[in-house]
Amino acid sequence: MIEVIMAGFIDALHPLNLLFVLVGVIAGVVAGAIPGINGPMAIALCIPLSYYMSPVAAIGFLVGLNKGAFFGGSISGVLLNTPGTPEAAATTWDGYPMAMQGKGEKALRMALYASVTGDAFSTVVLILVAAPLATVALYMGPPEIFALICLAMTIIAGLGTQSILRGLIAAAFGVLIGTVGMEPVSALPRLTFHIYQLERGISLVPIGIGMLAFSEIIIQLEHYIKHGADACTMSFSSKPEDRYISWAEYRGLIKTLLRASIAGTVVGALPGLGAPVASFFAYDQEKKRSKTPEEFGKGKLEGIAASEAANSAVVGASLIPLFTLGIPGNVAAALLIGAFVIHGMIPGPLMFDQNAQFIYAIYGSLIIANIFLLGVGRIGLKSFCKVVQAPAVILYPMIIFTCIIGAYLAEYAVFDVTLMLFFAFVAYFMKKFDFNHICFIIGFILAPIWETSLQQVIISSEQNPYMFLTRPVAIILMCITFYVVVKSIRGSFKKALSA
Amino acid sequence: MTIIQRDNLIFGFIALGSGAFLLWIIPAYSPPYPGYGVSASLLPNVTVGIMLVLSVLALVRNTLSYLLVKPRKPEESPSGNTSIVDKVQLWHLARFLIPCVLLMPAMQWLGFIPAGLVFMLVIQYFCGQRKPVPAVLVAVGMVGILYAAMRYGLGVPMP
Repeated sequence: MIEVIMAGFIDALHPLNLLFVLVGVIAGVVAGAIPGINGPMAIALCIPLSYYMSPVAAIGFLVGLNKGAFFGGSISGVLLNTPGTPEAAATTWDGYPMAMQGKGEKALRMALYASVTGDAFSTVVLILVAAPLATVALYMGPPEIFALICLAMTIIAGLGTQSILRGLIAAAFGVLIGTVGMEPVSALPRLTFHIYQLERGISLVPIGIGMLAFSEIIIQLEHYIKHGADACTMSFSSKPEDRYISWAEYRGLIKTLLRASIAGTVVGALPGLGAPVASFFAYDQEKKRSKTPEEFGKGKLEGIAASEAANSAVVGASLIPLFTLGIPGNVAAALLIGAFVIHGMIPGPLMFDQNAQFIYAIYGSLIIANIFLLGVGRIGLKSFCKVVQAPAVILYPMIIFTCIIGAYLAEYAVFDVTLMLFFAFVAYFMKKFDFNHICFIIGFILAPIWETSLQQVIISSEQNPYMFLTRPVAIILMCITFYVVVKSIRGSFKKALSA
Repeated sequence: MTIIQRDNLIFGFIALGSGAFLLWIIPAYSPPYPGYGVSASLLPNVTVGIMLVLSVLALVRNTLSYLLVKPRKPEESPSGNTSIVDKVQLWHLARFLIPCVLLMPAMQWLGFIPAGLVFMLVIQYFCGQRKPVPAVLVAVGMVGILYAAMRYGLGVPMP
């Protein structure tokens, strides 16, 4: 086993892998720093590029991208009061007031150190917890997996959205789109409308780029064309105490960082909650614990530390359900499933048996990405700050062109570009009508696993409808799903009737 | 349009669409049952059934809310249910989607570089760029870099 672990870490240290992780971290910080561009959007745009990399380099590149984007989001939050990513919103509450006081650089350094600390904590938890959990998960059969996916989709639809009805409809729509293509048992085309290109199914790339990047840019352009760009507050004091975080200041924040990292790790390990929930929760808890809560929101380091440590801790923790159960914790993890599949691997507990070396290479890449983030952040902080001033009128056309070429690159298929535009169109309306496109994407990704487990249940039980009654874990999971759905729908009726 | 009106419109559309899928599209475009395992139409039927039930539930909820709750003026509504919603801007959507739809055929007729340049100039114009020199520089730079990366870096067959 030690040999496998060592071989995995040596793979991670391959010069080409190091280069791709570094490029991923830099690209992620730049993408996150640009208001309106977030980690998932950057991952969706870069998945086609990962086709040309080795599996370890590809996942390392995408993981680096995601980590970089989490920190990058705080740059525009602190300097523009416009969080580059939703999870950086809580960082702006104290970061922007600090920038107004001329301590923008200090706020960003705090965000960087908190991000690295939170991320390192969750990576250690992932390494320690994932393998034992995967061993337990191996005892789960198709009925349990089927029930678990039902529960995961319900939780994602309920917790990740304002309305469970809309979330479930979006997830069901995603599953429906996931059924387009070859039916797994009869191997005959299903719902292809006699379009031969659909017979191979719809890949994640056009959906990811169309829904996460293209439609988002179109919606942001509506705002930009109406209101113009946000003004930048670039005010850096030259005093060292206003620029740097001293060791004493960092040591004084250790408890805050630890509490926030634990909160972020727990939230990240649960499907559906996501980084914004973690950062708001950690910020709120820190404010309640503080002896001077009135100073929060006026430029307090604890606020930035709590928010950033919590949201960055989600990155590693969201891989726990992915590696142990094959269920993505958030949309970035969902996109990583697509990247795994592209490279011939199915995320889940079997990966620890079949691709153990690869898993440890990913662990190595996670640690390396964290070290690179610290180095890149420290060296290039001021350069990254200039990125937030990139004019949208230049940036948005470039992103639109990249979306189109990215969709084409995946399989050199013009049809994929058409699909990307179609799903951008669908996502535009979903966003306008408050349907969560993240639920759609997760439903789409889970559809094949869901269908396969259902097929296995029915075939192995010889079409016995009471099969689930013989599996206590599956019954419990289905009962929880049913309870969550009924309770949420009842709550929605009560709210509507009491308004 | 208020949020309630918008919700009724979209949930009604989903309910009708789900009905069409259940009655016509899924039976017409699914392979026949092979005699073992699960019918190919089971999962699509289940998902569309869920969408139908949930959209009907939402419509029932909105109807009950309309019938049982005393209507308020927009400024009195605590939940904001009567406020005006973010509008769908079809012209805005069309002016970005149409050039994108035309890009790939244009690349096949004109070639990657000329079609890409025209596309970038058009999109920049729609984004609000009115200065010709930066527009041309961005178009040439972006198309040139992507062409070089695809042709010489990745060895991709050009569209």
